[in-house]
Amino acid sequence: MLSFIRKRSVASLISLVGLIVMVFFLSRMTGDPASLFLPVEASAEMKQQFRELHGLNDPLLVQFGRYVGDVVTGDLGESYRKARPALDVVTEAFTWTLWLALITMSLVTSAAIVVGSLAAFRSGGFFDRIASMLSLIGASVPDFWLAIVAIVLFSVNLAWLPTSGTGSVLHWILPIGVLFVRPFGIIVQVVRGSMISALSSAYVKTARAKGVRSGPIIFIHALRNAMLPVITVIGDQAASLLNGAVVVETIFGFPGVGKLMIDSILQRDFNVVLAAILVTALAIFLMNLLIDLCYALLDPRIRH
Amino acid sequence: MKKTLISGALIAGATLFSALSPALAASGAIKIVLPEEADLLEPCMATRSNIGRIIMENVSETLTELDVRGKKGVMPRLAEKWEQNADGSWRFHLRQGVKFSDGTVFDAKDVKHSFDRVMSDKITCEAKRYFGGMTITTNVVDDNTIDIKTQPVQPILPLLMSLVTIVPESTPMQFVREPVGTGPYKLTNWTPGQQIVLETREDYWGKKPSVTKATYLFRADPSVRAAMVQTGEADLSPSISQLDATNPKTDFSYLDSETVYLRIDHNIAPLNDVRVRKALNLAIDRQAFLGTLVPEGAVLATAIVPPTTLGWNPDVKQFPHDVAAAKKLLAEAKAAGVPVETPITIIARTANFPNVTEIMEAIQAQLQEAGFKVELKFVEVAEHETYYSKPFKEGRGPQLVAAMHDNSKGDPSFSMFFKYASKGTQSGFSDPKVDDLIQRASAAVGDERARLWSQLIAYLHDDVVADVLLFHMVGFARVSEKLDFKPTIATNSMLQLSEIGIR
Repeated sequence: MLSFIRKRSVASLISLVGLIVMVFFLSRMTGDPASLFLPVEASAEMKQQFRELHGLNDPLLVQFGRYVGDVVTGDLGESYRKARPALDVVTEAFTWTLWLALITMSLVTSAAIVVGSLAAFRSGGFFDRIASMLSLIGASVPDFWLAIVAIVLFSVNLAWLPTSGTGSVLHWILPIGVLFVRPFGIIVQVVRGSMISALSSAYVKTARAKGVRSGPIIFIHALRNAMLPVITVIGDQAASLLNGAVVVETIFGFPGVGKLMIDSILQRDFNVVLAAILVTALAIFLMNLLIDLCYALLDPRIRH
Repeated sequence: MKKTLISGALIAGATLFSALSPALAASGAIKIVLPEEADLLEPCMATRSNIGRIIMENVSETLTELDVRGKKGVMPRLAEKWEQNADGSWRFHLRQGVKFSDGTVFDAKDVKHSFDRVMSDKITCEAKRYFGGMTITTNVVDDNTIDIKTQPVQPILPLLMSLVTIVPESTPMQFVREPVGTGPYKLTNWTPGQQIVLETREDYWGKKPSVTKATYLFRADPSVRAAMVQTGEADLSPSISQLDATNPKTDFSYLDSETVYLRIDHNIAPLNDVRVRKALNLAIDRQAFLGTLVPEGAVLATAIVPPTTLGWNPDVKQFPHDVAAAKKLLAEAKAAGVPVETPITIIARTANFPNVTEIMEAIQAQLQEAGFKVELKFVEVAEHETYYSKPFKEGRGPQLVAAMHDNSKGDPSFSMFFKYASKGTQSGFSDPKVDDLIQRASAAVGDERARLWSQLIAYLHDDVVADVLLFHMVGFARVSEKLDFKPTIATNSMLQLSEIGIR
């Protein structure tokens, strides 16, 4: 197992280095940060001064060499716009995103497994039809629309919840509720499909013939075998949340890493872009490692 | 155990209550929701709107300020009075008994240091752009008097001083995130991404404002900002969308100092011909946009500066919508050998202002109806800058750059050089008479200054036909009924809390 983790770590490290090199040079190709930091009326001298102060006048390879040297010592540079260490800006935002992703995915996973399994158990029945229809709607509904409708309904009309922000537990309900819908719809469908296949297998028929009750058949015998594809999809959905839920962050005023990344790209705040990509890539690498470990735990064939 | 449970329940209850409690305007504490968070709260960057709206004249004050509500012009703030010396320099007499929020006493050395910071090459202060091409020398006469000399002599230096925020002498030559100022408020909390809180100072030199505490919240979506004021989560949003401005009791429009226009590149045929430029202006039905794609309160523009600006010329009239006249001018130009059939490209910026896509498409259709061949190209902000500002690309075709220009500063000098002088960064032409008028108007004072700006505005519009001026835009604000506040033309860049009353 340790050897497996080591191999995965080396492969991820190589990907990470490739990613940083690519993003460094691609971001520089988008243009000059001085022209966005300063207004259009700023003089050429002011723009030149800005470039000098931030080392943007040096040849690209010199800038890259300096960046790599700094990264090795743990310094990811300073945000041009915020005059703060880029890593501080990113970790602050990433903490919000991480909590949002953790809570949402925990709720989504629990709910989707139960609903998907029950739908598969009586495939074609009333519950299955309702679950399939709702999951299809959930997987397709645009989150910006859902977010606005949720605010109008629950905040403006019913006055049950605050419109946006992060001040209290109530502030988290709408963003999590909106983020919940799409992965829930997708995972329910995967769980259902995978469980239908598992429930029709010989070992389930044997268990039924032996008089095992429905609960243990679904949640002990079939579910464990049906979980491998489900875990893959959960990983995909969690990765997209870790990259930042831009729409939800924007509408609900959640200071997460997705909006930060988009803003930094648009403002050419290169150090923040690179730091954000580094941090989210590391998080996704760790999550993938976790998923691989889950595979190994669930399926002895992978372990051995 | 029981005690713990009760305490937990009380804390949870309080937390839930705080989430739904309305903004507490009656107590003097208000909440303001803005579209964009300040990146940093650096006083020398306060001319940038997302920073200025929070700290300008609230935390950091200036020597002078422009009266945007009345017609008093430049008014005293930290300077009580000023006069021009015989050598052209300006002497400012500073207010006494003023303290910074860190307790230090304000004096002339602070003004000198503030200027040194703005002009320093160790940081890139945005305020420096207003002093481009000038050499500035400051001379501390005594603790309460300072001479500021500019080369060349700057007749509107007192107005320019309304853009230089004063910091204590101890402020380092690097960007700060916790501003120290002489204003009525001090920064008490900044939780990045969430809120900024300003609270009143007991030792402020001026009148105590009604608002004792202002919490700034940031929401990018205009519907959410409007909903927050509606539900009581905030008391004021100075910028909501026109679609959300539906409640006459709380929502109103205000002229917001932005002017939309098409910058004409006079260097490339057929746009180098004045008949073609006139035809462009005649072909557009500006009136048809008002109340449809452009808010009803918008004003048709005859100058790049809004009507509240010094020297704005009421005698200059908009071009009428006259397609026949446009066609006739095009035919004349064609007969004279001007290649009027060359396709002209309108370059517009995505999301530059509400309905920009539809407005540009309508303009394209109107120009085509008059006989122009027009293409429309939308680009993002950074690419737009490469079309809008010099150096212009070699080998480019004829272009009209759709842009929006903001001047709430009360004087055309903040616009005219950049937009129309031969060396102006966004100027699409070179005309010696325009250069001369800009130079003379910039150096003039009083009525002569206003007269020269008026003359320039008329010459640019009627004779040069410098560009296609479209609209002075309006913004929409939602203000809680608990507040007594009306936005002004400066609200885009500055939101003085002391101007907000509580009913």
